[in-house]
This record gives sequence, structure tokens and C-alpha cells, in this order.
Amino acid sequence: MPDRFLFPIPQDLDWFALGPIIVVVATGLVALIVEMLRHKRNNAYVVGVSVVGLLVAGAMAASQAGEPAKEILAGTFLRDRFGCVVQVLMVAACLLSVLFSEGYLRQKRIAYGEAYPLMLWATAGGMVMATSRNLVTLFVGLELLSVSLYVLAGLSRTEAKSEESALKYFLLGAFASAFLLYGIALFYGATGSLHLGRVAEVWTSGFETGRSLLAVGMALILIGLSFKSAFVPFHQWTPDVYQGAPTNIAAFMAAGSKVAAVAMLYRVLDAAQPMVALWLPPLFWVAILTMVVGNLAALVQKDAKRLLAYSSISHAGYLLVALLARFKAPDVVSDAALLYYLASYSFMTIGAFAVISVAARAGRESTGLSALNGLWQRSPFAAVALLLFVWSLIGVPGASGFVGKLLIFRDALAADLVPLAIVLAVASVVSVAYYLALVRAAWVADESEADAAVAPLNAGSGLALGICAAGVLGLFVFVGPLLGWMAGPRSAEAERAPIVRQG
Amino acid sequence: MSLVLDHLLSIIVLAPFAGCLLLLALPPEWKTASRVVALVSGGISLALSCVAWALYDGAKGGFQFRESYQWIPGLDIRYSLGADGISLSMLLLTGVIIVTGVFASWTLEERCKEFLTLLLFLVTGVFGVFVALDLFFLFLFYEIAVLPMYLLIGIWGTGRKEYSAMKLTLYLMLGSAFILTGILALYYLDPRRTFDMLELSGGSELAVGLQRALFFAFYLGFGVLAGIFPFHTWSPDGHASAPTAVSMLHAGVLMKLGAYGVIRTCVAMFPEVAPSLMPIVAAIAAINIVYGAFSALGQTDLKYVIAYSSVSHMGVVMLGIASLAPVGMAGAVMQMFSHGIMTGLFFALVGLVYQKAHTRDILAMGGFARRMPGIAVAFTVGGLASFGLPGTSGFVAETLVFLGTFARYPVIVAVAVTGVVITAVYVLRVVQKVFLGPLGEAWSELPDARSTEWVALVSLAALLVAVGVWPMPLVNLINHGLRTLGMEL
Amino acid sequence: MLIALIVFVAVGILFMGATFLLSRLLRPHRPNPVKLQSYECGPEPFSDAWRQMNLHYYVFAILFVLFDVEAAFLFPVALALGKLGWFAFFEVLLFVGLLLVGWYYAKRVGGMEWER
Repeated sequence: MPDRFLFPIPQDLDWFALGPIIVVVATGLVALIVEMLRHKRNNAYVVGVSVVGLLVAGAMAASQAGEPAKEILAGTFLRDRFGCVVQVLMVAACLLSVLFSEGYLRQKRIAYGEAYPLMLWATAGGMVMATSRNLVTLFVGLELLSVSLYVLAGLSRTEAKSEESALKYFLLGAFASAFLLYGIALFYGATGSLHLGRVAEVWTSGFETGRSLLAVGMALILIGLSFKSAFVPFHQWTPDVYQGAPTNIAAFMAAGSKVAAVAMLYRVLDAAQPMVALWLPPLFWVAILTMVVGNLAALVQKDAKRLLAYSSISHAGYLLVALLARFKAPDVVSDAALLYYLASYSFMTIGAFAVISVAARAGRESTGLSALNGLWQRSPFAAVALLLFVWSLIGVPGASGFVGKLLIFRDALAADLVPLAIVLAVASVVSVAYYLALVRAAWVADESEADAAVAPLNAGSGLALGICAAGVLGLFVFVGPLLGWMAGPRSAEAERAPIVRQG
Repeated sequence: MSLVLDHLLSIIVLAPFAGCLLLLALPPEWKTASRVVALVSGGISLALSCVAWALYDGAKGGFQFRESYQWIPGLDIRYSLGADGISLSMLLLTGVIIVTGVFASWTLEERCKEFLTLLLFLVTGVFGVFVALDLFFLFLFYEIAVLPMYLLIGIWGTGRKEYSAMKLTLYLMLGSAFILTGILALYYLDPRRTFDMLELSGGSELAVGLQRALFFAFYLGFGVLAGIFPFHTWSPDGHASAPTAVSMLHAGVLMKLGAYGVIRTCVAMFPEVAPSLMPIVAAIAAINIVYGAFSALGQTDLKYVIAYSSVSHMGVVMLGIASLAPVGMAGAVMQMFSHGIMTGLFFALVGLVYQKAHTRDILAMGGFARRMPGIAVAFTVGGLASFGLPGTSGFVAETLVFLGTFARYPVIVAVAVTGVVITAVYVLRVVQKVFLGPLGEAWSELPDARSTEWVALVSLAALLVAVGVWPMPLVNLINHGLRTLGMEL
Repeated sequence: MLIALIVFVAVGILFMGATFLLSRLLRPHRPNPVKLQSYECGPEPFSDAWRQMNLHYYVFAILFVLFDVEAAFLFPVALALGKLGWFAFFEVLLFVGLLLVGWYYAKRVGGMEWER
């Protein structure tokens, strides 16, 4: 027997760096086993296991944020500050969704324990998407996320809307995956590798066929990711899917799935930095379209979940602005704005969905805006929390949403993307009108429209709402230290550095 | 004690907020307790504002009671407070209006706790704007003062309340966008890279064109709230739909935030370009005065009359600011104070009349003085102050404004003064139609004001007369404030 | 470069077209109903292809594919185990273990029973 047969562990394998993902996947597995062994329809243990696992994974990811970046397993996995922060965000998004899931699913009478393992695996998929520069690994992460979500969207099996949501999400998701996969194939053809780091080399090589092949491949990859991130004009699935999917799943899609998609986009654009002149103009227009269409379409919505779906589209537009600014002027713009906005967006969106989920009771759920009527009386806590989330979603100072937009606005100016900054500001003003519709429904509208039955806020939902509210406020109050943690010490200097203006 | 004195302004700002949090914890059934909490927390702010007034060292001038804490080091945003004479007079005004506002809405039963919570939240923002010395916090407090209005009008309003609430909110958010753009542009373009208002005031090294643009951003942004023509249309709708205490606060104090903002930004930060642009401001102010007065003349809804009179009177404030001279500026601040008290009184009265007569249609009323003599007297006092009869605060303020601006803009002022005449016409018309003449059959059982309501009416009316008869303390206070703008009487 | 590509595409299309044309010209053309009938795995079709199928058919299909792919992974690892070593051995064990949990889950929810 040769020596190497004993135990040749790959040299660059770092179990701890992979830890967060492994823990989440394993927790999903354990949760599934617990689900199989449990008595009757009591998901308490499943939820408990999931929460503990997520907390451990989150702590592991957070503890590594400050460590130097390194690639492991021959570049399949990358641990850096950005990846760690996104992992923490993914875990947080999942945790918050899980917290308010059980009460909601019980009210809706679809308390299937399988939902929790699937949410955990989706989270793991998202975490992979943030921590790799290898296209196949990224793709596997994306599929893990997507496939889990296809199932979750259809969780409410007897509801036609939920089925429609799942099918629509599946078909369009598959469509997007096809684009992505084709793009990856062309990428491989052009570079002879699946590692994103090869882009620069090929692009500067001057080999024309390779360059054009790479450009087409990148375009296809970007289109695939635009589907996932719900940029206009690739957004049409979003409102239908969010509306039909169970509200806790919609919350996770809106926050977690978006964070993951944007993180993967970040990885791809980061690698495609040398080609910036090529992809900046189209994405510039996509960003404008996304902000404009998302906000205008939201104005006419009568359904709370569709409204939040369009809101999430417009926020995707703001995030794209942050991405573009980051990669147009990488020397002056740090990751801080993007990460901060992702965090702030996750908290307020999940919070808003959690408030909407309060409307579900006795196996039925109406998500029309009028379902929120009288909320101030039925559940004052949820109603006050909703005020806070709307405050933040609009982007008024006093909550994290404002600082997020401020940072993006600043970066857009710093990167000389003035039109984007202007559209962002105008879009924010327009958004006031439709966000106020949520407030109107919960606070102002006539109570006679409200359903008389009162569903008390369960502990999990209350906890989730409390954490989201604390998050929105905490991000605002402790913005200084948080930015330092998210973007590293470098950012502190960059904050005050003078803006380099071109022309 | 020194803990209180060292953080005087913080306590003034945060007392209503503490009351707001306390109210959230109270059960909704405890209505009287809620009112007492609101009254006490507003009262603390009023009392401490008086203390600040007494302790303010006029000889030293400038911004006093400074507090400054680093908040975001990277962006150099500081929690920085301070008050000069202008701020202090506005603090006093706000304190008076919130306390009387709580008294005036003592009988409100519907969702009482929520109402008071929002009212206190809003007042937190108002106090904050008047003492903030950091543009970031100025904007933060500004939004806190503006946004609760949507709920306050939407829930407790009357008439087309949701339309008015939405219109008001959208207009003011548009204004906020201008302000924010101005703040950020100033921050990023100015080499000083600071949000510190003290550092920024006194002049800017930016190109003149840029300064002009910034001037207009701030003027339009704050001007929307001050009700400048043609962005005033939210104001009559909003004020007419709002419940009594909210109208009082909004017309009495919130519109002053706009004028205050213009003083702190346009006047203080761009002294180079301000003289060349102020004629525009003055002209628009004159339109406000005359157009607002004519509009008030044409209204049959009592509340709309008062609302349009606010548009007209805010024109006087803006005209005074446009003078850029100490007399006019002092008049402007004086008018802010005077109009705040006056319009607070008016809206309290209109609220009472409506509450008792269940109509606001002037043409349907008549002879009310016989059934409600107290209200009639108070209304007449307010009306006299409104067109500036000597012996009322309105006289002092308007005289100062017109004196201070005449030399600079003779034509504009000549036009604007006609507004005063029209004001006299519509005020006297209302007094005649509503309170004089024969009493209609339907009104034979009308009651006069009641205990808590008296507190509001008497104190406001007395203030109007007191300031009119003996204005020197207030004028002195304002005068100390003008020194921070490089002016002095 | 571009010309080469065009020539390549053109030759491809021409060749395909020519072949089809040639076969069309050469072959006999004598259709009858039996000849034109479509067939599935031998037997004649007895209804529309869009009829409803038992959902369990898909569950079986998915399970089959799952373990089919598992086998496809196991063979190459088994062949190269000498080179890969114990690490790979445990990796495969983990892989099989994961699928085992899945299999048990499928069995527990009744995925293996045709009639329920």
C-alpha cells in the first residue's frame, strides 16, 4: 500500500473557513432527521435545531471577517471579508424568516416541518454563492438556493396561487439557469478555466476570438444573474412569485435570495473589472430602468405582497447602483455601501413581510392591503414596527434605510455616476406614495373593512419583528463601527478621502 | 442640577420623546393619564426653554448651551446642539403651542393615546430642528417633524383627509429631497467637508454659480414647508383637514421650520450670493402676502380662511428675511413668533367653534358672540393681531418687516402692504359674519369654551397682547440671535 | 478569422441541404396508414400524450435518477481509489450517507409505495 493512501488531505483545506456552510448544511440534515423522528405535528424541535445551527454558523462566519483573504481547495472557495459578511447576512435572513415561520405556517395550516431544512439548504446555497470565484461552484450554490426555493414557493399545496408561484419561479429560474450555464460554457471556451480570476489575463491578451467569446459569455452570465436579482426587464416573475409563495418564504426570497444573487453578481463583476467599459453602459440603463419601473409599478399595487415585490425590485436597482459605483471607481469606493444596504434592506424587508404575515389566520390568508386594516388595534406592536420599516424603506433619516441610500448616493457621485444618483433620489421621493399605502392600510383605513377575528401575535413573530426593528435602528445608530466591520479598516480612510472628479 | 444644565437642549428635545415612549407603554384606556403625560413632557420642554431664555447670556451672544458628540467619525457627523436668540424664541413658541395644543385637544377621545404619541414625536422633531447645529441632525429632526403629519391628518382629520394628508406629505418630501440634495452637495463639493453648520456659515469658497444653485436648493426645499408660492397649495388643504392641535402645531410651528431653515442655510451660509438673489425671494413673498390674502377673502370655510391667512403671513416672514438687514430680519423672527401664537389661537378657536356648531361654513353662522362671548373676544384679539393693530404682537412684527425692507425693495413692499389692508377686510368679514348679527334659530343652545379650553385661549391671547405692548424682551432676545448672522439692531 | 467562420457555416449548411435533397431525390415515396403511425417502445399509442399521469410515476423517476447518478459517481471513485486514498473513501461514505437520509425520508413519506 503506497504511503499516500493513508490520508492525503488537500494542502489548502481549511475546515474552519468552510465551517459556516458545513454547519448550515448539516443543521438542515439534522433538522430533517428530527422532523422524521418527531411526534405528531410539532415542529418545535425542528425550529430549535435550525435556530441553534444558524446561530453557530453565523458566529463562525462573523469571527472570520477580519482574517486575511485566502483561496482554498484550488480556488473553489474563497474566504474574504465580503464573503463572511454576506454569509452573516444570509444566516440572519434565514434566522429571521425561520423565527416567524412557525406561527404563520400554523395559522395557514401548512406547518410542514420540511420547510426548515429546505430554508437552511437554500441559505447554504446562498452562502456558497458569496464565497467562491469558481463558476461551477457558484452555479451549484445558485441551484441549491433555487431548487430549495422552488419547493418552498409551492409549500401551500392546496392553494392555486402557491402552485402558480412555484411553477412560474421554476420555469423562469430554469430559463435563467440556462442563460447562466451557456455563459459559463462560453467562458470556459474562452479562458480554458472556470476560475473567474482568469478574466483579466484573457481580456488583456489581445486574442480577439477569446475576447469576443468571453464578452458573450459574460453577457449571458450577467443576464442569468439579472433574472435572479430581479432587475428590469428580467423582473416579471417577481410580483407573481412573491404574491403566491407563503409569506415567510417570500420574505426569505426577497431578502436572502436577493442578497445571494447580488453577492454572486459582485463576484462576477469584480472579476470582470478589466471589461468595465463593456458592461457598464448596459447595466447603467438597467439600473435606471429598474429604479424607475420598480417604483412606478409599485404605485398602483393593491396587494401588500405585490407592493413589497415591486419595492424589492426598486431596491435591487439601488443595489445595482452601489455595484456599478464600486466597480467603476474601485479606488475610491469600498464595499461598505453595498454591504450596509444589503443588511439594512434585509432587516426592513423581512420585517415588513413579517408584519403582513400577521394577517394570516385559520387556514386563510388575504394579502390585499385591506387585510392590514385595523392592525393598529389588533396588534399595536406590529403596527408600530411597520411604521418603522416603512420609515426606513422610504429612506428617511432615523433608520438604516437613509444611511444606506446616503452611502450609495455618495458612492455614485464619487464614481461620477451622477444620473444614477439623481434617479435614485427622485425614485426615493416617488416611493413615499406607495409605502404610505401600507401605513394607510394599517393605521388610517376604516376598520369596518377589517376582519373581526383577532390573531394574537405569537412569540416567534414578535421576536422576529423585534429583531428586525432593533436591526433597522441599530444599523442607524452604530453606523460607524458597522461600516468599519463590513468594509475593513481601509474604508475608514476612504470615507474621508476627497472625491476624484473626472473632467 | 448641573447635569440638567449641561444638557439643557438635549432635555428640551428629548422630553417629548420620553413622553412618547411612556405613552406607548400605557394601556389605551388610560386616556386622562395619557393627556397628563403629554402635558407634562411638553411642559418640561416649555419650562426648560424659559430657563434657557433666562440663562442666555446676551452680552456674550452667539450659540450657547452647546453640546457636541461624535457620531459617525468617518463622515464627521456630530450630534451637535446649540441655541442663539432666534432658536430660543422659536423654542418658546414651540413650547407654548404644544402645551396649549394638548389643552385644546383635551376632549379628543378617538385613539387618544396614539394621537398624543404622534404629537409628541412630531414636537421632538420641531425642538430638534431649532437647536441642531449639524446639517445631518437638522435634516433628521426635520423629517421627524414632517412625517407624522401624514398619520395625524389621515386618521384624525376631517373632510378630504386622506387626500390632504397625501398631498401634504408628497409636497414636503419633495422639499426634503431638495434639502438633502443641497446638504450632500454642500458636503461633497465644499473643501471643508463638514456638516457643521457653524463652520459652514459665514461664507463659502465655492464658485458663485454653484452657490446660487445651492441657495435655490435650500430655498425651495425649506420654502415648500414655509408655504412659498406656488408650492403653498398643500397648506390650506392640510390645515383645513387636520385636527385642531395638529393645525395649531403645523401652522403655528412647522411652517416656521421652513423659514428658520432658510435663515440658517440661505442667509447664513451664502452671504455672497444672497443679496443678488433675495429680490426673487422678496417678490415671491409679496405674491404670497397679496395672493394669500385674496384667497382668504374668497373662502367660505372658516378653516380655509385661517389657512390662507397663514400663507399670507408666512409671506411677511419671507419678506423680512429677504431684507438681509437687521430690522427686517428681527421683524421676520418676530413675525414667526407672533404668527405662531396667533394662528395657534385661531385654529384652537376654529376647532372649538366646529366642535360646538358642527359646521365651518361661515355663511351658515351668525351672532355667535351671544352664545360664546369668550370665543368671540379671543377671535377678535387674534384678528386684530392678524392685521397688525398697534398693541398686538402683529403690529410690532409687521412694522419691523416693512420698515426693514422698504429701503431695499420699495415697489415690492408697496405691493405687499396692500395685503395688510385685505387682511383687515377678511378678518373683519369673518368676525362680522360669524360672531355679530342676529343669532340663528339653530344656534340657540351653543355653549362657550370649557375649562381646559380656556387655558389655551386665554394664555395665547394674553401672549399676543403682552408681546404687542411690551416687545422689548423678545426683541432683545432676537437681537442677540441676529449677531450670529453678523447683524445687529 | 471571420471569413473562416463564415466559410465553415456556409459549408455546413450546404452539405446538410445537399444531403437532404439527395435522399429526397433517391428514396421511394410510398406511404400507407400503418407506416405513418407513431409508436412508443413497440406498442401502439392508445390515447393522447397529454393524459394525466400518476404523480408517483415522477417520484419513482426522480428516485431512480438520484440513485442512478449516485452509481455513476461511485464507479469512477472506486476505480481511482488507489490514487485518491482514504480521504476520498470517507468523502464517498459521506455522499452515500447523505443520499441514505434522503432515501429514508422518501420511504417515510410514502414515496416507495404505489398504492396509498
